[in-house]
Amino acid sequence: MLNRRNILAAFAAAVLGFQGFTMTALPAAAQDVVNASLRLKWLTQAQFAGFYVALEKGYYKEEGINLTINPGGPNLLTENLVATGADTFGLSGGTDSVFAARDKGMPIVCIGVAHQVTPFVFVSHKDGPVQTVADFKGKKITTWFTGANHVLSAMLSKVGIDPKDADIQPQQVSVTPFVDKQVDVVTATRYNELYVINQRVGKDNLNLFVPEDSGVSFPRDTLIVSEQTAAEKPELVEKFLRASVKGWKDAFANEKEAIDIIMKIAPTLDRAQQEFMLSEVKTLMTAGKASTDGLFTIDKDAVGSANDLLAQYGVISKPVDLDEAFNSSFIDKIPAGERRL
Amino acid sequence: MTAFMQTDSARQISRGIAGALLVAAVWEICARGLNLPAYILPSVTSILAGMVGDLASLLEAARFTATESFAGYAIGCLIGMAAAILVTMIPSARSIVLPLATAINSVPVVAYSPLVLLWFGIGMASKIVMVAVAVSFTIFLSTIAGLDRVDRKSVDLIRSFGAGRLAVLWRLRLPTALPLIIAGMRVSTVRSVIVAIVTEMLGAYGGLGWVIYQAVLQIDFVKVWAAIIVASAISLAFFGAISFVERRYVFWSKA
Amino acid sequence: MSGSIAYAANLSVTPAGRIYAAVKPILWLAVGLFAVEVLVMAFEIRPYYLPRPSAIASGIMATPGAYLAGLWRTFLETALGFLAGSVFGVVMAVVFHRWLALKELFFPLFIVSQTIPVIAFGAVVVLWFGNTLFAKAVISFYISFLPVTVNTLLGFSSVDPRQVQLMRSFGARDGQILRRLYLPAALPQLFVALKLASSLALVGAIVGEWFGDTTGLGVLLLQAMYNENVVGIWATIVVSACLGMGLYSLVSFAERKIVFWGGEQ
Repeated sequence: MLNRRNILAAFAAAVLGFQGFTMTALPAAAQDVVNASLRLKWLTQAQFAGFYVALEKGYYKEEGINLTINPGGPNLLTENLVATGADTFGLSGGTDSVFAARDKGMPIVCIGVAHQVTPFVFVSHKDGPVQTVADFKGKKITTWFTGANHVLSAMLSKVGIDPKDADIQPQQVSVTPFVDKQVDVVTATRYNELYVINQRVGKDNLNLFVPEDSGVSFPRDTLIVSEQTAAEKPELVEKFLRASVKGWKDAFANEKEAIDIIMKIAPTLDRAQQEFMLSEVKTLMTAGKASTDGLFTIDKDAVGSANDLLAQYGVISKPVDLDEAFNSSFIDKIPAGERRL
Repeated sequence: MTAFMQTDSARQISRGIAGALLVAAVWEICARGLNLPAYILPSVTSILAGMVGDLASLLEAARFTATESFAGYAIGCLIGMAAAILVTMIPSARSIVLPLATAINSVPVVAYSPLVLLWFGIGMASKIVMVAVAVSFTIFLSTIAGLDRVDRKSVDLIRSFGAGRLAVLWRLRLPTALPLIIAGMRVSTVRSVIVAIVTEMLGAYGGLGWVIYQAVLQIDFVKVWAAIIVASAISLAFFGAISFVERRYVFWSKA
Repeated sequence: MSGSIAYAANLSVTPAGRIYAAVKPILWLAVGLFAVEVLVMAFEIRPYYLPRPSAIASGIMATPGAYLAGLWRTFLETALGFLAGSVFGVVMAVVFHRWLALKELFFPLFIVSQTIPVIAFGAVVVLWFGNTLFAKAVISFYISFLPVTVNTLLGFSSVDPRQVQLMRSFGARDGQILRRLYLPAALPQLFVALKLASSLALVGAIVGEWFGDTTGLGVLLLQAMYNENVVGIWATIVVSACLGMGLYSLVSFAERKIVFWGGEQ
């Protein structure tokens, strides 16, 4: 065990050391500045605006953290990179990936949940054959086989439909088959695919099926650190959260400025789409328990329901120990008043 | 001659296996000795155990991927050779076809995948198209290089006997080009399998790429490697089959 | 210099003919693009299936800086990976040719190595090589070396053993035989492989940029793909195609300079 730690630490040191090397020179006064990195779950976009705002405005620096934000990509598991120490912090897939990682023995801990409710919905055409969840039976549905399929199964089971009775297919990157009505029901994140569908089909021509309406919740976009960081550098975790919360509050208070910061980094993005994304992300991040307790609250009930769902469908071998996987102690150090919008 | 070839290939196969065992041993020692977690490098033995456990589903996925690769490979070979012959027969077409083919091939197959998935659907057809595109370029380049390789004196000689363009092609150019064509075909075998897998990862109903994609998301790296080993076995068998054909029928390449 | 004169003499064309030869592909390209533009408008093909070439062009012109920066970054990664892959490919061919036992032990593993989908191991790549340009070049290298090895070996095998005997009888050493006999004999095949490797190296660099980066054609592509920005996808495709053609032309140019027995032209 010690051996393995050492190897991983060596790997991490090599990687972090290199990053440190490429970093620009720091002001001489900032001697106790700590280098750290945040790995996102995807490329730079408004979904992560708060972190970029905090970086741009120097909130991490104020807390003594010299933060690098590393974008993610397909098949790039944030859990993996955080567990090995290649990145200090991670904004990972969501409760689903945290559970899968814990189930496989990865030493990571969730320190905050961004999207309080399921960020995706199921969408059908208003003039099509699907008007209620009960209509899903026998219809062609596309979804992501990465957790969303289990949410769908649970929703179907609640209305007495055997998921096998629906024609559930893997969803490709494009929603065009749905727009062309080759598919009856499509899965869409509120902040990305739904925008594209709205643009092409028209917002008023769509039925949305929200998992929460069927009593299923699947919070996503989780902040994670390694167990080692959580145990050895609790103050670093706390400072990171404090700066991040500040960045997010600014982003929501001044959306135009936040989008400007994002567009500066990724100029080929569609501004209108990014504006839509930020306003949807705001809804997701301030929903549920976060409306009272503030940003990044860990709602143990919602998280627990996702845990049971994944265990029920055999994605994880057994329910994960919630208190070990989700550690509220860091985010709770920041008073709810400071975290509320 | 055949007896010699048999002992020759027997030695090659046994050495190939020895090489694989050697690497497997080093791998196992690294994985176990350094106590690396599965998400960095799972041990060979755990991968083999995983393969045995998932054998039925892996074989089904392998059948899927192999079908796509072979079909795309065959189509790609035909297109590549036909285009190369066309360009050689009609030299004025070269300055258009060659840059166009290069341009198409310069874009990574993954870039086309959203378009190909859109045009050909998420089933096998889209993978076959992608494999055919990737393979045809390799074959095209190899065939052109091969067809161009004949020396002018031979062409002049056979022309002086009254042979037309077709006869020059059939009697002279193709036999001269064969070794290079087959070398291109050999390299393409591996590429056809990997392109099928990568396309499956972006959207599919089944296949090894789909298994890998799912397994990565579920952080099941033993399964990822199990699928990769099955894919490697397909590639190797495919490569071996083409090499065998090459040695059997293109013996004049060594002369 | 004498090479280019010889080349021109070989082709024995007038300067005007040469200019026409250089302009012809561009002319055809313009005609082709115009035809696509007309077809898309005439049949009202929806932009999700095929956007108009003019829309793609204005997409690039809207943020030229981003595409230029991406082009440059991806070019650097590709060039590094391609050079490393070519050198490694040739060296491995020499080693495998010299020591048959090594070839038989490890060549199958070279083939196997190409079956590993790099995109499944993004985390491992980042872990080992960090978030650097170097990491992308490594992937580019990894994807491009095999054709070089295969074709160089094929080229070596076309050498007449009697010539080797002859050189040896004159007291030539292994290094001399390699330089004077084997490498020149392998050049035509080697260049076929290098052309292939240049496109493969580009593919490798682009895929490498999918492992968390902010600049590069791969990043632009990924962004466009998942935002369903079809014009963006095509814009990136066009830019990568230009880069790929540029690299290919460079290799072809080198080939013409170095291998001047082109057969019947």
